Amino acid sequence: MVAITDRSESDRLQRESTLRRLTRRPEIGAFVVMVVIVVALAFASEGKAFNALGVKNNIAIIAQFGIIATGAALLMIAGEFDLSIGSMIGFAGMSMAMMLKWGLPFGLGEASPFAAFLITLAMTLSIGWVIGTIVVRSGLSSFIVTLAFLFFLRGTTEVAFRLINQSTQISGLPDYKETSWFADLMGGEVFGWFFDLWFMLGGNLNRNGDQWVTGFDARFLWWIVIAGAAWFVLSRTQLGNWIYATGDNKEAARANGVPVNKVKIGLFMFTAFCATIFAACQVFDTNTSDAAKGNLKELEAIAIAVVGGTLMTGGFGSVIGVVFGAITVGLVANAVFYIPWIDGSWFRVFVGTVLLAAVFANERIRKRITGGI
Amino acid sequence: MAQPYMRVEDVKKKFGPFTALSGVSLEVYPGEVHALLGDNGAGKSTLIKILAGVHQPTEGRIYVEGKPVTFRSPRDATAAGIGTVYQDLALNQLMSVTRNFFMGRELKGPLGTLRMKEMDQIAHDEMLKIGIDISDPQQAVGTMSGGQRQTLAIARAIYFGAKVLILDEPTSALGQKQQMEVLKTIKTVRDRGDIAIIFITHNEIHSKLIADRFTFLSLGEVIGAGTREELAGDDIRRLMAGGAEIGDLAKMLERA
Repeated sequence: MVAITDRSESDRLQRESTLRRLTRRPEIGAFVVMVVIVVALAFASEGKAFNALGVKNNIAIIAQFGIIATGAALLMIAGEFDLSIGSMIGFAGMSMAMMLKWGLPFGLGEASPFAAFLITLAMTLSIGWVIGTIVVRSGLSSFIVTLAFLFFLRGTTEVAFRLINQSTQISGLPDYKETSWFADLMGGEVFGWFFDLWFMLGGNLNRNGDQWVTGFDARFLWWIVIAGAAWFVLSRTQLGNWIYATGDNKEAARANGVPVNKVKIGLFMFTAFCATIFAACQVFDTNTSDAAKGNLKELEAIAIAVVGGTLMTGGFGSVIGVVFGAITVGLVANAVFYIPWIDGSWFRVFVGTVLLAAVFANERIRKRITGGI
Repeated sequence: MAQPYMRVEDVKKKFGPFTALSGVSLEVYPGEVHALLGDNGAGKSTLIKILAGVHQPTEGRIYVEGKPVTFRSPRDATAAGIGTVYQDLALNQLMSVTRNFFMGRELKGPLGTLRMKEMDQIAHDEMLKIGIDISDPQQAVGTMSGGQRQTLAIARAIYFGAKVLILDEPTSALGQKQQMEVLKTIKTVRDRGDIAIIFITHNEIHSKLIADRFTFLSLGEVIGAGTREELAGDDIRRLMAGGAEIGDLAKMLERA
C-alpha cells in the first residue's frame, strides 16, 4: 500500500459557527429583503401600513400570494414549473360561481357552496393530474406543457362563461357566508381575538372610538395551513426527501427507488389544489367571479418562490423562504395604498429588480453549498 | 477452497448481429477483490449490466450461492445481494450525506416522518466502518471530495445488503490522492471478509495493488484469468493491453 498521511479530506471541512451556517440557508436573502421592506414601508407610510386596517389588508394579499407560491415552490424544488396556476384560478372561480348561480350540472338542482367547491376541486385535481402525466410521460418541458394549459384553461373559462352566463363575469351572488359554514370558512374572518386584543390594549380604534377591524380574511388561515403542511412535509418526511431528490438529479433518485413520476404528478395536483383554494377564498369573500381572475398569478407565484430562495433548477428551496418572499412582495404590492404619491407600477419594477437579485443570490448560495462546484 | 458467492458461467450477450460477450465465465469469492480489466469496448460494461440485472444474457447462467438465478430487473439483482456502484454514483449534490444515504429507503416514524437523528448516526457509522469519518452527516454531498462520495455510495450499497459489490471504474475520475483513498476503502471492505468485490478498472497499477483475482476481457472474450500468484506482473501488463499490441509497440520503439 502507498502510505497515506493521517490528514484526511474531512479535515478540510471546518466546523462552522451558527452565523456562517445561517448564511447558507436558502431563506436568508428573502429574510433580509423582507426586513428592509417592512422598515422602509413603516417609515414611508408614516405607520399607516401597519395600523389595524393596514395589517388586515396586507395579510389579505400576502396570504393570496403565499398560497399559490407554496405550490409553485414545491413543484420547482422537484424540478418543474407550472404556468397554468393563474388560469387555473380563473377556471376554478368560474366553475364555483357558475354552479352557485346556475345550479349543479346536468340539472341536479341547486348547488351548496361546499358541493360547488368539491366538484370544482375534483375537476382541477384531475387537470393537474393530466398536466403532470403529460409532462412525465412525454418528457417534454413542463414550461411548454403548462403554457399550453395556461391558454387552454383561460379560453375554456371564457367560453364557458359566455355559453352559460352570456357575460364573462358573475356578480351579486347572495352572501353565502351568512348561511353556509363552508363559505364562511373560505371567505369569512378568522383570528378575531387578535384585533379584540389590540382593541383592549387601546389601539384598533375607528373615528368614533369603537373597535375598527374585527378579523383577518379567512385566507390567512388557509395560508398558514398550506404553508405549515408544506414545511412539515418538505423538511420532516420521506415524501420531502423524495421531492428534493427528484429535483436535484432525477436519474439518481430513480436509481435509488424514488417514485419520481408519482412525486411530480402529485405536485402538479398540489399546485392545482392551491389555485383552487385561492379561487374559493376569492369567490366566497367577494361573492363575485370573472374570467380575468388570476391573470399573471402564475408568474408572481414563481417570482415569489425564487425570491424565497428556491432554485430555478430544482433540488433546493424552503417553505419558510417562500413565506418571507410572499410577505415582501405582498407588502410592496400594497404600498401604493399607503403612500399616495407613489405610482402603482413601481410594484412591477420592484419585483423585477428583486427577482433578478434573488436569482444571483440563490446561485451564490448554491455554489457555497456545493463548495463552488 | 471456499464456495464462490457468485459464479458466472459461459455468459453470452448479443445485441442484434453484434456479439458483445462471447462466453464469459468468472467466480467471485467473499473477502476477495476480483479485478475485471479490459480496454474500452472489451465488454466490461455489458457484463456489469448483466450482473446488475439491467440486461439479460442471451445464453449462459449466473449462480448465487450455488443456485441458478435470473435477474429480470435491477431490483432482482439488489434483492439477491448484488450492489452496483456506477460511475455517476447516483448521488444528489445539493442534498445532505444522510438524505443521500437513505434516498428512497428512508427510515420512517409515524406519519412518514424521518427518523433523522438515527439516520445521521447510521450514515456516519457506516462510513466510518469503511474508513472515512465525516464530521457532519448534514453536509451537502456537493462539498465532499470525489473519494468521499465514492465511499458514501459504497457504504450505502453495503448497508442495504450488498454481498457482491460491483464497482464501476471507481478510481477513474479522481485525483491521485483520492484514488488511493478509494483503494484504501476497497481494501477495508475486502478485509471484512463477507463481501465479494468486483473491481472494474483499466488501471493495471490499481488492480495490482488490491486485487486477489484477475479476469481480462478483450473484444467480448476472456483472454486471461487467474489469482495474483498465478499471474506474473508482465502477464498482467500484456493482457491489459489486449495481447500483443504493447510488445509490437515496444519493438517499434526499439527500432526507431
